[in-house]
Amino acid sequence: MKTAAIDRILERYRGDSSALIAILQDVQEEFHYIPEEVAIRITEELDVPLSRVYSLTTFFKAFSLTPRARYPINVCLGTACHVKGAPRILEKLERDLGIKTGQTTPDRTFGLEAVRCVGCCGLAPVVTVGEDLYGQVEPAQLSRILKKYKEAGSKS
Amino acid sequence: MGKTSKTVQINMDNQRLEVHRGLTILQAAESNGIYIPTLCAHQDLSPFGGCRMCIVEVEGMRGFPTACTTPVEEGMVIRTKTSQVQAERKEILQLILSEHTSSCLVCDEKVECKEFMGTIRKAGVTTGCRYCPNDDQCELQDVVDYLELDEIGYPVYYRGLRVEKEDPFYDRDYNLCILCGRCIRVCQEVRAANTLAFKQRGRFTVIGPAFDRTHMEAGCEFCGACVSVCPTGALSEKARKWEGKPDREQITTCALCGVGCQMRLLIKGEKIIGSLPAQDPVVNSGQLCVKGRFCVTELVNHHRRLRKPQRHQNGTEVELSWNEAIEAAAAELSVCAPKQFGMLISPNCSNEDLYIAQKFARVAMGSPNIDSSTRTFYGHGFSAYLDLFRQSAPLADLEKSSDILCVGLDARFGRSVVGVALRKAMKRGARIVTINPRPHNLALMADIWLKPILGAEAGLLRSLVKMTERKNSTSRTRAKGQGRGLTQDLLTVAEMLKNAHSPAILVGSEFLQHDKSWQIFELVGRLAQNVGARILPLPAQNNLLGSILMGTYPEILPGGFSSADEKKARQFKKSWSVNLAQFSTGWNASALSTGPRLKVLYLIGENLPGFDQLADFTIYQNIYSPDSPTVDALVLPSAAFTEADGTFINGEGRIQRVRKAVNPPGDALPDWEILCRIARKMGKKGFDFSSAGQIHREISRSVMNLGRFHRPKRKPVPLTWQGRVNVSRPKPSGKVKDGKQIPFLLHASSAEHVYRGFLLTAFVEGARQIFPQDMVDINPKDAQKKGISQGDAVVVSCERFQETWTANIVDEQPPRTLHVTLHQSASLGANPHRVKVKKKDV
Repeated sequence: MKTAAIDRILERYRGDSSALIAILQDVQEEFHYIPEEVAIRITEELDVPLSRVYSLTTFFKAFSLTPRARYPINVCLGTACHVKGAPRILEKLERDLGIKTGQTTPDRTFGLEAVRCVGCCGLAPVVTVGEDLYGQVEPAQLSRILKKYKEAGSKS
Repeated sequence: MGKTSKTVQINMDNQRLEVHRGLTILQAAESNGIYIPTLCAHQDLSPFGGCRMCIVEVEGMRGFPTACTTPVEEGMVIRTKTSQVQAERKEILQLILSEHTSSCLVCDEKVECKEFMGTIRKAGVTTGCRYCPNDDQCELQDVVDYLELDEIGYPVYYRGLRVEKEDPFYDRDYNLCILCGRCIRVCQEVRAANTLAFKQRGRFTVIGPAFDRTHMEAGCEFCGACVSVCPTGALSEKARKWEGKPDREQITTCALCGVGCQMRLLIKGEKIIGSLPAQDPVVNSGQLCVKGRFCVTELVNHHRRLRKPQRHQNGTEVELSWNEAIEAAAAELSVCAPKQFGMLISPNCSNEDLYIAQKFARVAMGSPNIDSSTRTFYGHGFSAYLDLFRQSAPLADLEKSSDILCVGLDARFGRSVVGVALRKAMKRGARIVTINPRPHNLALMADIWLKPILGAEAGLLRSLVKMTERKNSTSRTRAKGQGRGLTQDLLTVAEMLKNAHSPAILVGSEFLQHDKSWQIFELVGRLAQNVGARILPLPAQNNLLGSILMGTYPEILPGGFSSADEKKARQFKKSWSVNLAQFSTGWNASALSTGPRLKVLYLIGENLPGFDQLADFTIYQNIYSPDSPTVDALVLPSAAFTEADGTFINGEGRIQRVRKAVNPPGDALPDWEILCRIARKMGKKGFDFSSAGQIHREISRSVMNLGRFHRPKRKPVPLTWQGRVNVSRPKPSGKVKDGKQIPFLLHASSAEHVYRGFLLTAFVEGARQIFPQDMVDINPKDAQKKGISQGDAVVVSCERFQETWTANIVDEQPPRTLHVTLHQSASLGANPHRVKVKKKDV
């Protein structure tokens, strides 16, 4: 499965070594991390050294060498959100998901992170899940939000 | 001044200077003797602008540009030492030092500590100034002294990284690293090896190979270029770690293979403490391989070096004075008949040693019986291999080659200097094809890897020769016995070579011990003729050509003349008053075990298993003591290549000077001197030499012009000798009957990390890790079927031999084949062998 996916990505860029970062981004999106065997495959196809691929993947936060969650949850702990009760939201999420901040659920559906200000303090307290943003979140809403993603996750 | 002017006028520190356009401010300053401190800049590397030490003020430019990255411009006014610049530099240096253990740099007791070591230290091992191996050789110390920094205003952030010691030859303590990136740039730009890179970022940045592999796993060649450029003590040589600063240097030629790299030996007192590449533009252009860079020190300083002449008798060893030893040798040799005398000399010796050795045999002993173990190393392909040199070209020609075919070459450890040249050629656009049945380091980078079936290499080359013979005939030729994909590749390669404007063929040593080696070399020669390619054979022995041209073979006279050449024989009769024509040339090294027993066997730099059983009396002259106690022998200590003057002839035919760097240990003497003393004791004329230079002059006068001793000719000598070595038929290969099972094919190579008959692995700690001993490579599937796992003892057997080796599972080892590297693989017979494999019963 990995081979077919990586073939598709490489096909898109036709072995252009200057597109290395773009390729890594696509790989990250596809697998939610950069697997070692994929990194090796890329070096062979693009004729770039493995040390360079590794250097880039560890430099940019966007890439990860260990599997990341499908839906990373970011809870804003900026000043506005803090005042509006974000710590309670974080606490509830930790309890509901059974993980601590900075960890990933064993099924890799959710990852939990605390961040400083996502830039929309008017919506405080703010939680982002994957690409989606939730404003003025009440702790009680959280289980409904999580359920939505759990269902989406089990479908695909 | 027009725009086309090659120089520009600048003003630097109130000096008017005229400098070349395109230089950086730093280069302009350095060429005019103005010091600008730098940590990341290096003359051989591209500008980086990382350390910010070289900031300067330039009128009209905002801020402080870095001198290493800013090119000079017409009319530039530059100030390098204003108080503001110095203050900024100090600040930046403090930031750098806040991550570097700095007690040796800014400690109050610095001066006293250096003299008396009186400081009470509370710091751990890596934080103290005495504990950094580069004390006094550290560029960081120089810059701190220059800026007179005596205090660091920032809290020290100690990273507490583990010191990495798992790889051979050098240790890495990244707590001392300042992230200047020199090691990475030298690995990428100069060596083109790309092993190292920055990892992570910000304060977590470290340097190393990808995926936290060890350097060994990441394909590091251990060339040591990164260690040489490191400005701190972060990278340090294991063997040289606490030796301190060398007193002096000596430029010489490396004796560990036929490339002939120029090296600088670092000397402290009477000891060689290190070897670095010399900036020699002709041969190695400032590069060395792992053998030259890291193995020399341990090799010449080993405790097994012989210091005094000894008499070994029935297990007892008696030390002798030179007088007693020479007398004993002369007494035995005086009563030895010419036919009963035999001498073997290693091609690791200098031309002067080789010349005197053959003169000793021919004139003092009146015997043609002089040979070298090289004959057994090359086996029946010896003559064909030597013929390749007749079409050879200098290594520098690789730079001009458009298409390069590598035949059985691996350039990871030995010959990595050639690997660098290949990668540079590739960057320039040259195409590389490699022929090798086994995994090797060129496989990854080559455009095409022709992977012949084991045992069918000659067939593959024959197809290639046929395909390149006439125009338009390629499409009709088929490669016999090879797969369809390979045939297509062969056609591509044939077309490529035919159309290449300057092809070159590099010949490595994969096929030297092959049963069809003579055919392979002959075919390489024909292929080169067909496509007009230059051939670059890369012999393992540093002075192989010297041994031919000095005539240390029964069939070959000095100058490379055939001993059947009557005209030459008459000439030598005149100068040496010995009639060479009377000699029969029947004897050679292979007759040692099969021919009539010798009375005296004289070994110089040779180490044959059980050598003391081969003759009534043995003179063993070498730099190390024999491997096993000898029954009856005279053991004479000789000098290593770092301890005697002389010349070598490298694989290109270049005459290279070897210079004495230190005195030999104990009473050891150069080989030629021992021989001359014995000959004089025997009352023979023509051995009154007091220096290698005198011998060199005699060679130049009576044999062939080698140029001046102190400054040899730069151009290679023509390799057109007339004599030919006789070769015997290949020894039989191993065979086995194993029911209906198809036997495994075993290929045994001879080790090339050899100096004077000894494996480097016996003396050099790190060499044991890079040159595996008695490891048999096996395909993972075969290993699984046989229940063998990595490191198991396996028994490889056939009708001729049964050996126990350690299993090494290699993914790319072709199925149902095995490979092993042995000290002397010829003892097994000719490759490939048909064998049975099984796990050893415990």
